[in-house]
Amino acid sequence: MANTDEESARHYPVSEDMRMQRRVWRFERLGWYALVGVVGLSLAGLFGNGPLSERTVRSADGRVQVEYARFTRNGAAEQLRIRVQGKPDSEATLLLGGSMFRDLTMETLQPQPLVSVSQGRALLLHLGTDRDGFATLYVTLRNDNIGQFSGTARVGPDSAVRFSTFVYP
Amino acid sequence: MDSVLRAGAMYVALMVLFRVAGRRSLADLTTFDFVLLLIIGEATQQALLGEDFSFTNAVLVIATLIVLDVGLSLVKLNSLSVARLLDGHATVVVEDGHFLHGRMRRSRLTEDDILESARANQGLTDVSQIQYAIVERNGKISIISRDGAS
Repeated sequence: MANTDEESARHYPVSEDMRMQRRVWRFERLGWYALVGVVGLSLAGLFGNGPLSERTVRSADGRVQVEYARFTRNGAAEQLRIRVQGKPDSEATLLLGGSMFRDLTMETLQPQPLVSVSQGRALLLHLGTDRDGFATLYVTLRNDNIGQFSGTARVGPDSAVRFSTFVYP
Repeated sequence: MDSVLRAGAMYVALMVLFRVAGRRSLADLTTFDFVLLLIIGEATQQALLGEDFSFTNAVLVIATLIVLDVGLSLVKLNSLSVARLLDGHATVVVEDGHFLHGRMRRSRLTEDDILESARANQGLTDVSQIQYAIVERNGKISIISRDGAS
């Protein structure tokens, strides 16, 4: 007579542990859902390059605006776009500070600032503004560290923005 | 230091991922499974080695992987529960000529998979000729014929 009870453990020809086996099957199923979740979240940009990751901050008076990536990965390059408002056809000073600019390698600064000096642990840049008074600075950072890094961009005493990026291993 | 950490983290990550994939996933390797395996290897390689392509780094990574693998097999040797946890058990999916459909579904096996294995290993053509079909821990299906078992 065939034993039709599929849930009970067999002892011959192999000794089974159905409780454990059910747990394994459940783990496989939940694991699959978890992986689907991971794929979905990475499409959304939780692990870099996606809508969840792209951020823009603007200071209260709108004089400085930074577009940055909230999440990046170790070894990848990150683009920062910093837009500063000053007087037309003149110079605007921008102070870049924070661990982001100290601990990550700054690969390129485009366009080249007119003057670039250090100020304490921060970097003071003089940028040429266009006819409308705007200056845009493109910064490429190489993420050769892991963890949370924050940066500040300051134009004047009241015009500052803070932003941070998380670098995955 | 980071060679060892990289290799260790990758070992654990791959172990979890392949446990999720289940034992059947790479048991009967089709051409596509083989290609998939190669791609997984390619994706792993960069993270294992980083930007250090030196001989020393490669040896360190390989040494770490072997240490972990042998260490784990030693643990399994001494502890049945760990072995069961990591390797799973064999599961009966055909008994006395009857499919156990609930178990087959959860093991992601079709009747065709079992009959294919019966033909290949024992030359059996019908489920009624099978006494037991067992999914082994490595995902292969063992067939015990009714004549042989009686």
